[in-house]
Amino acid sequence: MSFLSLIVKNPFRNRTRAVLAILGISIGIATIVALGMITDGLTASTQTTLSNGTAEITVTATGSNAFSATGGTLAENYVTNILNISGVNSTAGILRGITPAAGTVNGLEVNGINSSQINLEGIAITNGTNFADGSNQVIIGKTIAPVINKTVGSTITLFGKEFTVVGIYQSGNIVTDSLAFVSLTTLQNLTNAQGKITIVAVKIDTGANATNVANNITNAYPNQLTTTTATQEASLMDKSMSGINTASAAISVLAIVIGGIGIINVMIMSVFERTREIGVLKAVGWKSSDILIMILGESIILTLVAGVVGILLGYIGSEGLLAFFSTTGSVIKPVFTTNIVVRALVIALVVGILGGIYPAYRASRLPPTEALRYE
Amino acid sequence: MSKNIIEIHGLKKSFDKGRVRALRGVDLEIKKGEFVSIMGPSGSGKSTLLNMIGAFDRADEGTIEVAGIDLMTTKRLDKFRSQQIGFVFQLHNLIPNLSVLENVEIPMLRTKATTKEMDKRAMEILQLMNFPNLSDLVKQNPTRLSGGERQRVAIARALVNHPSIILADEPTGALDSKTTQMILDLLKDLHEKENVTLVMVTHEPDVGAQADRTVYVLDGKVKEKET
Ligand SMILES: Nc1ncnc2c1ncn2[C@@H]1O[C@H](COP(=O)(O)OP(=O)(O)O)[C@@H](O)[C@H]1O
Ligand SMILES: [Mg+2]
Repeated sequence: MSFLSLIVKNPFRNRTRAVLAILGISIGIATIVALGMITDGLTASTQTTLSNGTAEITVTATGSNAFSATGGTLAENYVTNILNISGVNSTAGILRGITPAAGTVNGLEVNGINSSQINLEGIAITNGTNFADGSNQVIIGKTIAPVINKTVGSTITLFGKEFTVVGIYQSGNIVTDSLAFVSLTTLQNLTNAQGKITIVAVKIDTGANATNVANNITNAYPNQLTTTTATQEASLMDKSMSGINTASAAISVLAIVIGGIGIINVMIMSVFERTREIGVLKAVGWKSSDILIMILGESIILTLVAGVVGILLGYIGSEGLLAFFSTTGSVIKPVFTTNIVVRALVIALVVGILGGIYPAYRASRLPPTEALRYE
Repeated sequence: MSKNIIEIHGLKKSFDKGRVRALRGVDLEIKKGEFVSIMGPSGSGKSTLLNMIGAFDRADEGTIEVAGIDLMTTKRLDKFRSQQIGFVFQLHNLIPNLSVLENVEIPMLRTKATTKEMDKRAMEILQLMNFPNLSDLVKQNPTRLSGGERQRVAIARALVNHPSIILADEPTGALDSKTTQMILDLLKDLHEKENVTLVMVTHEPDVGAQADRTVYVLDGKVKEKET
């Protein structure tokens, strides 16, 4: 028998206790893994790759913002007016409306745009064709398509009118990929918003500075227009991501603390029960440090097994959790990386060391005479 | 320099901050290869004396030299115990979840021995313990053994590191008279064959009488009486 095999064997002497300890710690690890997978998935899906030709500036009516504006809040003539501002290359008027759709929680956001200008939203048709202007045709984003269960050739009712899905598109941006696009004039007629739009998407000249151009626009129409640049959008995303990361770090720390307290308890109990045995080990010549390593090792074995179990539970749990929130569930794909595995195992190791060190120290200080006292 | 393997003078040890004076100036000399029994009433300090010889605890005062090592000053008590002492307890103190063979290997676990060497040495020593069906027994857990069998495994464990001294604290105290004599014969046999020094605490006069010499502990002091 080797020292290592003794260390591996010892924690399972009391099976029930070992299983309970492993379960307790693995739930903490599972939480960390599931959170890690979901936040990593969120980060991956919000990382926007700005495709060539995408508008750098979004213009909305003052008092609204690029994220939440809907309805005919701007006159359509801004589309041509803004074109005259220095640094502006091209513009597109977009009308936004929300209509109920089966499978979504808050409805489907439909954007009306001229068919020739969809490249300003950075979208590319991956399946089927683009819609025709003035038609009742719709193209839908690849992220939302499976959620509302539509594909090329399906029909869908938008604002009370039947549309045909003619294409599926992709943009690389999670928000854009969760929308549907139709002809601007069709949507204006359907929603009684003739001559109205929600936003003006602005593409700037090559070499121009987006912030400067955005300032030019707001200076030209003070108290009328608000601008959001792509970088501002990205940093807003980053801000909310870092908030989520902080929250998940806090939960991880909590899981470590709870796991650590659990393992301290289990190991103190185990050491207490084996007082005499530890005395015997010392009596036969084991060094105090040998006892320390043994107990610490047993604690680490327990937490590492819990780590492996926790990774499995977390993997299953994150999928289940996202399936529960149906809409978001299909938008965010949990990402399972070696990084998460390593992180979980390192945390398990740290919990094992932190939880085991005090009981191990206590055990190493037990005098060998304890083995000879018969109470 | 003497040929005494154990030399103790004026040894004192108290517990509970001096309230319990377990040893009150012990003088004892034991020659190499001797079999000495220690007798005396319960609570007189026999176990404490044995623990001092085995370096399980430090004495308060006096001198104690065992196998040429000054136990009052040496820093490596664990090394001394590992190399010089084999201890047999009243209760076998075997580890319940380990096999008989693994229990015997415990003292070798933190030495440089390979697992192969450990297996070989443990089998060698177990063969001296007069077990009828050893190959079956070594794989078993000690919980399935009789009291006498367990004590023989414990003796094998005490001998596995080739100690120069065996310390036995009432090794037959929990056994019936027939098993007692068997264990005693085994210890005497090993003591003769391997020329180890044997120091045994007992409260049974017929057990004590089988030693080369008996010393008596009374109120923390040793009285010599030749047999
Ligand atoms: N670790 C200890 N702590 C406190 N008192 C002890 C300890 N060990 C022994 N004693 C006391 O020392 C005295 C001698 O004990 P011991 O050597 O075990 O006697 P014996 O083995 O002869 O029965 C007893 O009074 C006992 O209670
Ligand atoms: Mg005693």
